[in-house]
Amino acid sequence: MASTEERIRALVDANLNIEGRSEGQPLTPDLNIIDAGVSSTDVVAFWRLVCEEFGIDISAEEFAELLTPSDLIAYLDAHSG
Amino acid sequence: MAPALATGWWGPFTQLDDVVVTHVDLVPNETNEQEAWTWLDGEERRRACRFQHNGAKRRYVLCRASLRSLLCGALSCRNHQLALGSSEHGKPFAAVDRLQAPIAFNVSHSGQHGLIALAPRGRVGVDVEERAAQRNLDVLIDAVLSPRERADVMAASGRQKLDVFLDLWTLKEALSKAHGLGLSLDVSSFEIPPDIRNGTRSGMFRMPGMPEVAWRLTNIGTDRFAAAVAHDEEGL
Repeated sequence: MASTEERIRALVDANLNIEGRSEGQPLTPDLNIIDAGVSSTDVVAFWRLVCEEFGIDISAEEFAELLTPSDLIAYLDAHSG
Repeated sequence: MAPALATGWWGPFTQLDDVVVTHVDLVPNETNEQEAWTWLDGEERRRACRFQHNGAKRRYVLCRASLRSLLCGALSCRNHQLALGSSEHGKPFAAVDRLQAPIAFNVSHSGQHGLIALAPRGRVGVDVEERAAQRNLDVLIDAVLSPRERADVMAASGRQKLDVFLDLWTLKEALSKAHGLGLSLDVSSFEIPPDIRNGTRSGMFRMPGMPEVAWRLTNIGTDRFAAAVAHDEEGL
């Protein structure tokens, strides 16, 4: 089964334009996606797609604190089955 | 007299009562970017250097320098006296000689467009989105709109569907930013008033659970971008 990092990378590849990053490249663990040029609409869509992929309900307030791959992956590993 | 930048990449956009909105041109321009850099303080330069790629860095540097110039003009201070900070959720504030300044401001950018709103009192939020295709439009419609707002968007067709969505999105984001909560506010929890949804450019809005605050909500979008301003009229 794919790891959390691999599943997040696939979602990023399909849904976010991170400036300077090509599809399939590793994610920079501490890169804030807003600082990477991702628009607020894409952040919100990504939030919902992460919830759907992991079958978990993350509040908007919580997700606003999970904008780096490392924070998001740690949260998902702790909260999803 | 307060100093101003010698060349400006920004200009007046609109004025709503005493809220002044400025447009910032974010098209790549090396001369502008070099001049903007000289206006940033040490912390802002360190933040700019943390951007890993030029687009996000350029938007930050150009918006920040124009914000500094506008604030220096509004507060009659010099750039070195001005410090900018933000609250836990990113709501910004200005200080002159370490004293919080009596001015509200907010900044938004999207693609090649930035908007800066300044207000002498109350709280203000601004949001701008280029009218560019959204790859997850249906996900966004489901995530951020109320059932009636969704019905409005779904009643539109083709390109108009995107435009109706972006108008609603920027109105909600402007409110969220004025409120000081940014992305942490679930904007599906409130609904834009029907008159504004039906095309009136400006109206009043009271957020559920906060009826004591009246927000003036204005659609300031153009054919190039959707945009909105929210301002609470406390003290007006």
